[in-house]
Amino acid sequence: MKKFLSLVLALAMLLSVCAFANAEGFNGEIKVWVAEAVVDFTNQQVEAFKAAHPEYAGMTVTVQAVGEGDAASNMITDVEGGADIFGFAQDQLARLVAAGALEVVEEGNAAVVEAENDAGSVAAVKMGDVMYAYPMTSDNGYFLYYDKSVVTDPSDLDKILADCEKAGKSFYMEINSGWYQTAFFFGAGCSLTYDTDADGNLVAMNCDYASENGVKALKSMIKLAKSPAFVNGSSASNATNLGAIVDGTWDANAVKEMLGDNFAAAKLPVVDGYQLGGFGGFKMLGVKPQVDENKLAACDALAAFLTSGEVQLARYNAVQWGPSNLAAQQDETVKANEALAALAAQLAFTMPQGQYPGEYWSLATALGDDIIADKLDNASDEELLSTLTSFQTTAGTYVK
Amino acid sequence: MTDLDYLKLSKPAKIGYDFLSFLKRIPMGIVRGVQKLFRSIWHIICLFGANVKDVIMTFVNGDWKTRISFLIMGFGNCARGQWLRGILFFLFQTVFNLYMFNFGMPYLAKFSTLGDIPTTKKGRVTVYGDNSFFILLYGILTIFFILAFIYTWRVNVRQNKLGQKYLKEGKRLQTGKEDLQSMADEQFHKTLLALPTLGIFTFTVLPIIFMILVAFTNFDYEHQPPSKLFTWVGWDNFHTLLSSGGANYGDTFRQVLFWTLVWAFFATFLNYFMGMLVAIMINKKGIRFKKVWRTILVMTIAIPQFVSLLYVSKMFAADGLINGTLMRWKWISEPIPFWTNAHWARFTVILINLWIGIPYLMLIATGILMNIPADLYESARMDGANAIQMYMKITLPYMLFVTGPYLLTSFIGNINNFNVIFLLTQGKPLSMELAGNAGYTDLLITWLYKMTVSDTNYKIAAVIGILVFIITVIINLVVYNLMPSVKNEEDFQ
Amino acid sequence: MTTKKTSIPEVDIEIDQEKGVIREVKTEKYLRSKKNHEKHVNRSIYTILVIMSIIWLAPFVFLVLQSFRSYLTESGGMVDYVIPHHFSLDNYRYLFQDGMFFRWYGNTLIIALVCAVIQTCMVLSVSYALSRMRFRGRKLFMNVVLVLGMFPGFLTMIALYFLLKQLGLTQEGAIPGLILIYCASSGMGYYISKGFFDTIPKSLDESARIDGASRALVFWKIIMPMSKPIVIYTIMMAFMAPWGDYVFASYVALGRAESYNVAVGLYRWVNTNDYQGYFTRFCAGGVLVAIPITLLFMFLQKYYVEGVTGGAVKG
Repeated sequence: MKKFLSLVLALAMLLSVCAFANAEGFNGEIKVWVAEAVVDFTNQQVEAFKAAHPEYAGMTVTVQAVGEGDAASNMITDVEGGADIFGFAQDQLARLVAAGALEVVEEGNAAVVEAENDAGSVAAVKMGDVMYAYPMTSDNGYFLYYDKSVVTDPSDLDKILADCEKAGKSFYMEINSGWYQTAFFFGAGCSLTYDTDADGNLVAMNCDYASENGVKALKSMIKLAKSPAFVNGSSASNATNLGAIVDGTWDANAVKEMLGDNFAAAKLPVVDGYQLGGFGGFKMLGVKPQVDENKLAACDALAAFLTSGEVQLARYNAVQWGPSNLAAQQDETVKANEALAALAAQLAFTMPQGQYPGEYWSLATALGDDIIADKLDNASDEELLSTLTSFQTTAGTYVK
Repeated sequence: MTDLDYLKLSKPAKIGYDFLSFLKRIPMGIVRGVQKLFRSIWHIICLFGANVKDVIMTFVNGDWKTRISFLIMGFGNCARGQWLRGILFFLFQTVFNLYMFNFGMPYLAKFSTLGDIPTTKKGRVTVYGDNSFFILLYGILTIFFILAFIYTWRVNVRQNKLGQKYLKEGKRLQTGKEDLQSMADEQFHKTLLALPTLGIFTFTVLPIIFMILVAFTNFDYEHQPPSKLFTWVGWDNFHTLLSSGGANYGDTFRQVLFWTLVWAFFATFLNYFMGMLVAIMINKKGIRFKKVWRTILVMTIAIPQFVSLLYVSKMFAADGLINGTLMRWKWISEPIPFWTNAHWARFTVILINLWIGIPYLMLIATGILMNIPADLYESARMDGANAIQMYMKITLPYMLFVTGPYLLTSFIGNINNFNVIFLLTQGKPLSMELAGNAGYTDLLITWLYKMTVSDTNYKIAAVIGILVFIITVIINLVVYNLMPSVKNEEDFQ
Repeated sequence: MTTKKTSIPEVDIEIDQEKGVIREVKTEKYLRSKKNHEKHVNRSIYTILVIMSIIWLAPFVFLVLQSFRSYLTESGGMVDYVIPHHFSLDNYRYLFQDGMFFRWYGNTLIIALVCAVIQTCMVLSVSYALSRMRFRGRKLFMNVVLVLGMFPGFLTMIALYFLLKQLGLTQEGAIPGLILIYCASSGMGYYISKGFFDTIPKSLDESARIDGASRALVFWKIIMPMSKPIVIYTIMMAFMAPWGDYVFASYVALGRAESYNVAVGLYRWVNTNDYQGYFTRFCAGGVLVAIPITLLFMFLQKYYVEGVTGGAVKG
């Protein structure tokens, strides 16, 4: 009897300790990686979070400026030494999951995320049916910025090029990037996607570049590359002779600075009879797998807070990052933003960007480099088709 | 062919003969190198056998102090009055035992599988299993520690044998104090080399062996510790890299290798001759402000490469300074594809490397030129030689003789010249015809870097590293075995 | 060698009545033509040298000019003109006040100074031991180091990173970590110093040892004072190296901006998309980095040449 009582007592103590521990919160250190532009903003929000959740008031949050690309590659290099919460773009999702750098989003939070954010961003944070990160922005897509005084009709690519050539200005587009390249292929009706399972492994590839539509897209790109106004690139601050540029919202300020009153933005133009499409891109916050339950709960709570509707709207007001939260997107200030409006118009023609293996990006750059290097200039339709076929085959080999 | 016959040949025939004998010597060079390798391996085996015999003999002939030392290191030394050595030996043995028990054996036990306990989840908390990376790393460390222990034990046995022998012969053994004194004298090399050797071992030998072994595993971003395990796969990676057919690794490897050698050749020799030319020009009698010219060129060495190269790479971009200026002057109508066309890119890279390299070579050449005795030139001039003849017969042979080894090191260095290529082009332009993210200006070493950092494809990176090593070794062996004959030519002339 | 045929009579026969000798004297015409020829050659050489100087110095002049283009009033990114419309010190002000440039500069300075000292000690110890002393395993050591040097340096980056991590020397401890990596294997670069020591006659050592000095004493009191050029050369090389290392430094810091060195910081400004319009600040940073190193190099040029030619010549 005595033994039984002592056992029950021990169990009760254990349970109470657990319960106590859970309500206790977390007092340790959390490291956060976000882009340099939002470091100050994030610090403010962290203070607000701690004020709203007293059980977490004792923890130390260090916010470091690490860009999205660097954050992903650093995490993949060393998961243990990396940040606990980090911002990244969705093209890195598969690799991060495969490297074990992302923890599955807690069920309660996942339900909230799914309900409150737009469909594209929700699809972007999932691998299979498992949600791995918290969506933060829906503005990682691209559209057209142009100089109003140079470009008269931004709806047709040939007209844009002619205007630029006449004015001696340049048309910037980074066709040797697997990201921008899809504007042509997807617009012409092709698609290229990889299917993944819940563990981040690639299981299948679906591609139909090697088709009539693919050849049409390739020819448009070749024509573009041959124009004297064409310059390969997508960085506004390196655009010394800006007539028009295919770029995203992160460069809105830079382009506004360069063009002043002549600043204008629109969805991508039509070329050779089809509307240029492309990718819709998203940024998200990920949480690293933790060995400590309390720390994991704290990270979850903080990440959910930083991607909640109010904070997304505040972030937009601070640095003009287009929110993925449906309610925030309906806000007046968001709707009034020219660049975001152009992006929204373009988003109708885009595909949410799924997961692509690292090799795909280099393959696409290789194709783009070949176009820029004039290697495909006088190729016949058959030769173009065979180039696309070999592209397709190689892209298929990345599924192991 | 005797020397006299050689002299009688006409100029073209001499060149032809020289070239043929050079070619003939290459296979001989390789054969001789391989022979040396086998001879040293045989030497090591013999050494090993001799040592085993010696240990057995020591035990058989040893007294009780010696025999106990086989188990407790340092006992013999202590018993014979050499306390310092004895205690050091014993300390080493204790440390070794502690290490093996706590740390070494667990890791070494899993070495063959590189870990089999995967990472699991308890609720939402992650429980990490085996870490293949550390199993491999510490496994290697443990193996080395075991080897060090065996070596120290062997030394211990030998000390006992010698100690026993000396005592029998009536000689006195060195005391601890004398040992310390000799550390600053006969054994000074040990004092000097202790720390550097430790550093080299921990931070060069250990990682290199680790990476060589990684080449036989499947360590890439899909098998990344601590969350995933990786394991041995034997020669698979080598097959992938060296196979052929289609735009795959094998083909790409050959192309990148070819360009690496071409680049190294041009980078070394073009810089060498141009640098020499510039040095001769500045050094010529009648040119004033020698110091000014030299200082201007030398200044460019001092500017850190990453500053100058990053800036220059932007200068040559499609919308950069050079293209912008040329277009404004209406010399060209569209920008020159310096970085996007493969041939232009390769040419520009070599050109800019000239810009970087000539000041170095000019400095060296100037230093050497000043050493050439002036009366050689005087006598030549009196015989009526003109400038070109003097260059070919005096300056060039002397310079080649003196800087031969430097040229070799420079060639190898250019094979591994990461900075120039990476900062200028990052290896681009890429192409559909090259696999694995390789570009047309990629050297093996920049490809290796991309593999490691961007793709985290460590296994292929390790294989590339090993292949670069093999190529370097072959080149070194070949040239070193040809060198003596080159030197003979100089004396001969 | 055959004499060159010229159309101008080269020599004249002069009969010196006083001394009773017949001399061959170069004709005035020949001397004059030679002088002209030489003047032409010199003039073309001067032209080449001037063009070369312009080409070699141009990028740096542009760099300095662009560092004066303010990122606030004009564009901080790439433009197609070189001379700024207004000269301003905004970039330099930014470097000194905002941003972390000063921190990076300080980091790199510390690394360079510590490395200069430690590496010199290591390299000189190894070269002296190998040059002066004959011991069992000397050849083995030299061959092993030779072979190890043939492996490409980046091969071991990932292994070194985790080694340092075990010692706690990454991210926060990145500075000591980098110093450790640079210095640990520096003993492998002994060739040039050894070549220099080989030129010091062994008889010096012998006579000192006969007088009863230990090897250590010989090293400190006799050889070191004589080796000023090589010591300065080694210190110079060790000091200048950390300023340009981008690869290892970025790996070891793993995103912690306070631990970056100057190379990583500036590289990110120019090459990552996060930093638009930082180009002129990069130029300013580049100028600040280049100045001390250039000055150091110019003053110690003599030793660099001695080191390279002395060592390279011996091989």
